[in-house]
Parts: sequence; structure tokens; C-alpha cells
Amino acid sequence: MELLNNLYTGFSIALTFNNIIYCLVGVLFGQIVGVLPGIGAPTAIALLLPLTYKVNPTSALIMFAGIYYGVAYGGTITSVLINVPGESSTVMTCIDGYQMAQKGRAGAALSVAAIGSFLAGTISIIILMAFAPALARFALRFGPPEYFALTAMAFGLLTVFGGEQPIKTIISTMFGLLIATIGLDVVSGMPRFAFGVPQLLGGIDFIVIICGMFGVAEVFSSIEEPEEGEIIKQKMHLRDLFLTWEEWIASRWAILRGGVIGFIVGMIPAGGITTASFLAYLGEKRFSKHPERLGKEPSKGLPHLNRLIILPRSAASLHFWHWEFQGLLRPL
Amino acid sequence: MRLANLIGGVFVLILGLAVVFFSSQLTYYSEFGPGPGFLPLWVGMIISACGIYVVIDLLRKQGGKEEFFKLRTRLGLQIFITIIITFLLLPLLGFPIGLAFFIGVTMRMMGKHRWAPCALTAIITAIGIHFIFISWLTIPLPRGLIGW
Repeated sequence: MELLNNLYTGFSIALTFNNIIYCLVGVLFGQIVGVLPGIGAPTAIALLLPLTYKVNPTSALIMFAGIYYGVAYGGTITSVLINVPGESSTVMTCIDGYQMAQKGRAGAALSVAAIGSFLAGTISIIILMAFAPALARFALRFGPPEYFALTAMAFGLLTVFGGEQPIKTIISTMFGLLIATIGLDVVSGMPRFAFGVPQLLGGIDFIVIICGMFGVAEVFSSIEEPEEGEIIKQKMHLRDLFLTWEEWIASRWAILRGGVIGFIVGMIPAGGITTASFLAYLGEKRFSKHPERLGKEPSKGLPHLNRLIILPRSAASLHFWHWEFQGLLRPL
Repeated sequence: MRLANLIGGVFVLILGLAVVFFSSQLTYYSEFGPGPGFLPLWVGMIISACGIYVVIDLLRKQGGKEEFFKLRTRLGLQIFITIIITFLLLPLLGFPIGLAFFIGVTMRMMGKHRWAPCALTAIITAIGIHFIFISWLTIPLPRGLIGW
């Protein structure tokens, strides 16, 4: 009953005309900033902070939430359309979203990402409201052994990506670890591989590497194979932006799975949006009846691909709350 | 792909050896546990081992007919070299002029545009970036010798 009362109070505040407008403005600005590669939600909120100076705190928080989701969706737009992830959580969206865009179904890919994210996010938030105190106690019990187990599991999951040449997986994993060692050592504070360059002391950000890997590779591949980058001209109708009923049926379990994985990972301190999206994708690869189609050019079976775009977005949905747990909003 | 993989394998091996060399100069084990050189040393050794494996594996196999350099690979290489030159010139030219140089050169090389539109676009880029990002938004972008 208390839950329903809280929900009623929340909706009665959030659904006022002013707050909806603030949310809309937040989402709009968030999307504009989110489209720029490499700018994540915290940076976007810091940039757009002056917009909320003269707003009451409740509306400002609603606007922040709007900016956060807007940035997350802005990252999806570049992932699907030009194969460059706008932020780290949309890396997985690139893999199949871009394939759909090349098949002329960019609209469907973008809409399924948005709707899937909304559905799974709503489910996650309802679960969170119902079980928040118990979940908070669980999250606080997360210590070094649990973090170690999480890291070990992440390395274990790399075998799923392995494919036919495990040596390449090992090399790329080691390259990733090598890049992670650049900067100050977290234990001793000693600089590693900085070679006297002050900018390297802070390490290399994940999104910089991802933009380089996807964006620069895409540029070079389009230089070398210009015919692959041909623009598909087609008539667009509003109904093309939505999935067919069959596609929704095929996507239903993926939305639920994405929501559950995002919820669990979102609860873990330091789990976060990127881990959730990777785990959701890898999990779906395991659950899928046709894992060989993942990341490959689809011959048919778009529903299958749609599922994979939903997942990373849905998995990210709880992150905003997780974010608040970490106190990232408080300094603002 | 054999030649490409061989070049890649040799590159991985050299990188691994370099990592081993530089991490051996850091503390391997300290009073409180693994030192700053611990992880990179092992990472370097694994990378080197992978490089050796790739090279030996390729040398054992028979090479078939292959096409390593495609017709347009040269263009890709030119762009790559331009990026490196731009990066090296940034401290001298500053960000706006450096980026303008890059855009001008790529337009000329890739797009095969005439010199006039390339130069005009480059100038507009430099002025635009300077006034929008440096003057207006006060973003601390690298300044060159002329203060731009």
C-alpha cells in the first residue's frame, strides 16, 4: 500500500505540465549532446547544469533524468546510423543496429531501442521501488571478493566472443589490459607508461578507445571499400519506425531478460551501464537459437536482431538509480 | 591474409617485448603486494608469447595467393599518415589550424576537390573552431605558436 501511495505522490508531482516540459527539454538537449561521440551522461549533465539554475530542485532532478536518458538515446543514434558509439553503453548496439541500418531498417532499430529501453526500464524501476531497502543491504555487502568474482566472470565470458581464433581474443584482451595499465597505479600511485606526458597520467578513457576502434575503423574501411558505404535511398513512412507484431512477439523475452540483467548489474556498485550492456548481449548470445547470426549481416530474421538492440538499452535502464546510489547526483 | 597476419604477429611480438622492457623498470613486488610493474610485465609476456605463436604458426603453413594491398589501401595509408602529421604539428599549429590543415588535405586527397574549395573550407573551419570553442565556450584546446 505504501508503494502505491509513493507511486501516486511521485506521479502527481512528475505529471504536472511544467515538469513534463522540463523533462522534454532535458531529453531534447540530452539527445543533442549525446549524439556527439565521447560525451557521456555525467559530462552532458555538467554541461547542461546552468539550464537548471533557476528551476526548483524537483523539476531540476526531473530535467537531469531527462538529460540522462536523452544522452543514452543520443548514443544509440550514432551507433545505429554511423557505427560509432556515442557512449560506452551503446557499443553493443553498434554490432547489430548498424547491420539493420544498412538493410534500410534504421528507423525500426532506433524505435525498438527506445521502446525496449522504456519497457524494461519501467519494470526495473517498479521492482526497485518494491525491494529498495533489501537491495540496498545486498549492494552494501559487495566487497573485494565479489568484485574479483565479477572480473573473473567477465574474463570467462570472453570465451563467448572467441570465435574460431582464440589467439586473437587473447591478444585483444591483453591489449585492453595493457591500455588499462596506462596512468597512475591505483595501489602505489606510481606513473606507468606515461613517458612524461601529463595527459597520460589520468589513463585512457574507455570511450576514447571505443570511438577509435569503431569510428576510425569505419572511416578506413569506407575509404578502402567505398561501394560498401552506398546510401540506400528509400521512402520512409511512420509505420516503418515500428516493429511488426511478429517482431514484438519475438522480442518479448529479450526485453524481459535485458531488464533483469540490467537490474541485477545496476544494483552492484561499480557494475554500471557498460557492464550491463555487455553481459546482456553475451547472455542473449547464449539464449539465442541462432547465435551465428549475431553481428553478421542478416539474411532474414530481423526480429532476432531487434532483440539484440533492445538488450543493451534495457540493461542500462536502472543505471540512473544506481548512479544516484553512488552519489554522483549529490555533488551536483 | 597471410602477409597481413605475419606483419600483425611481428608487431604484436615487438609491442609485447617493449612492454616487458618498460615494465621491468618498474617495481615488481612491493611491501604491500604486487607493485606497479607486476601486471604489465605479465601482460607483456603473454602478448609476446601470442606474437611468437602467430608468427610460428604462419611460417609453418603454406602461403597461397593473396592480395594484401588493395587499390585504395594507399589512400587509406595517406589519410593515416596525414592524421599522424596533424597530431605531431598540433603543438606548433594549435587545434583550429591543425584541424583545418587535416580537413584541407583530406578533401584534396580523398574528395579530389579543387584547391580553392579545400582552402576555403579549411579557413572557415579554423575560424569557426577558434571563435566557437576557444573564444565563446572557452574550451582549453591546444594553442599553437601564433596563439590560435
